[in-house]
Amino acid sequence: MIAERARWRVIDFGPRTAAQYVATNRAILEARQQGLAPNTLSFLSFSEPAALVGFHQSVDQELRRDYCQAHGITIQRRVSGGGALYVDSTVVGWELYLDRRTIGSSDMLDIARRICETAARGIRSLGVDARFRPRNDIEVGGRKIAGTGGTYDGDVFLYHGSLLVDFDVERMLRVLKIPAEKLQDKAIASARERVANLKELLGEAPPMERVLGVMAQAFSEEFGVDFERADALSPAEDDKFRAALAEVETSEWVEQVSRPAAEAPMLEGVHRSPGGLLRVSLAVDLAKERIKQAWFTGDFFVNPRRMVVDLEAALRDSSLPDYRATVNRFFDGYPAEMLLLRREDFVAAMACALQTLARGGDAASG
Amino acid sequence: MQYNGCEFRPELHYDKDFQIWIRPEQDGTLTVGMTDISQTIAGKILHVRVRRPGTLRPRGKPVATVESGKWAGPIPNLFDCVIEAGNPRVLAEPALLNIEPYEAWVARVRPSGGVEQALQRLLTGQQAADGYAERCRKEDIHCKRSAR
Repeated sequence: MIAERARWRVIDFGPRTAAQYVATNRAILEARQQGLAPNTLSFLSFSEPAALVGFHQSVDQELRRDYCQAHGITIQRRVSGGGALYVDSTVVGWELYLDRRTIGSSDMLDIARRICETAARGIRSLGVDARFRPRNDIEVGGRKIAGTGGTYDGDVFLYHGSLLVDFDVERMLRVLKIPAEKLQDKAIASARERVANLKELLGEAPPMERVLGVMAQAFSEEFGVDFERADALSPAEDDKFRAALAEVETSEWVEQVSRPAAEAPMLEGVHRSPGGLLRVSLAVDLAKERIKQAWFTGDFFVNPRRMVVDLEAALRDSSLPDYRATVNRFFDGYPAEMLLLRREDFVAAMACALQTLARGGDAASG
Repeated sequence: MQYNGCEFRPELHYDKDFQIWIRPEQDGTLTVGMTDISQTIAGKILHVRVRRPGTLRPRGKPVATVESGKWAGPIPNLFDCVIEAGNPRVLAEPALLNIEPYEAWVARVRPSGGVEQALQRLLTGQQAADGYAERCRKEDIHCKRSAR
């Protein structure tokens, strides 16, 4: 007897505001949790430029609020974890609402990995070499093309990602507080080395229908399911959507985590060595003693070139006091050719940046 | 007691999925924490947020949220309650939940309908032990603790 393939729902919501996006997430997740919604894959794009902080992030620590307000960029809070994002009409959101039993694993890291690898496979069929980069990115040649994150409630979860079809890197740099603040003219070039989009890689932006098709195909193959198209939320989900929208459109929702920007400074360090000039920008969380993000730039040779972004990925959300150990652990397991540059130079650049804490966070050199 | 390396404390009360443990205190409050199963499934916890003391949390609305590896998730709430306090140690160092989940409590709450009524919704004793072991076995969960 041939077992019947499971059927999941697929919905393309089309353009949505940031608040509608968050309210949709909440509505379907809650309905799925109460058994009122099936396993679902959905897509959407953004009808407005928006900055989305992660569920536990503080707007003042992650975003340039003044810039957002002056340029009509909506600020919203996601239900999922992870870092802040800038999105606009050139970003495709894809979302999976599933229960853990469907996936057959309780391990959240495993679940994220499997979904990201599947999404990367879908993106690859568009003709770009997309790969999963732990913990939560999908990249092409070391450059991030999609970020992901999730949330769960009991046995059900939402895992979603944002795929860059075309992207305004300059706008992103102005919206997000990322470690490029003091790179000035080099900031855009440096960001372009770390972020990719489909239009740039393929020469033209693929039609949205095609992007959605390849993603759905990849999930269908991975999970052995067929998709049943729906055009809208069910009435039960719609009620939840309206209730959620009323809540997330308030400042209480958006500002529910508020921490002072001074606790999350940006530190700069410069280290000169026989291997070249190494500059590091560190975004740190002093209260939690963590490195949020690190960017290394400068005039030096490493092979493979992507070693730098892989080191940055290893340092993301890592312990601030243990940064030496993190760098050492990374190099212990990473074959790299660096000519005269040594791992100690990366440590020294970071040490230099951290020394500026005592001096109030000014740029320094060492 | 342990099942697949997942510690079970028989003196505590649990939800049916063994996501949280609850301990009644002398002053009529309940202490809420994450089970060994929960912290293992979550992985390394980077953020914990507890609702402000004095906040009324209806049943179904989480008392706290945690984040690990880009996953945000709730510490579920099974009865109406008022938040009395978050654990300052855990708020400052969320990874304690991965090190000592039964010492690193998350929140103290005062159940609106009284302690007895709240505990009626929970499992304890042999019934809890059997359910805990069953979940570990059925989902093949093997617990891991972080080192200090």
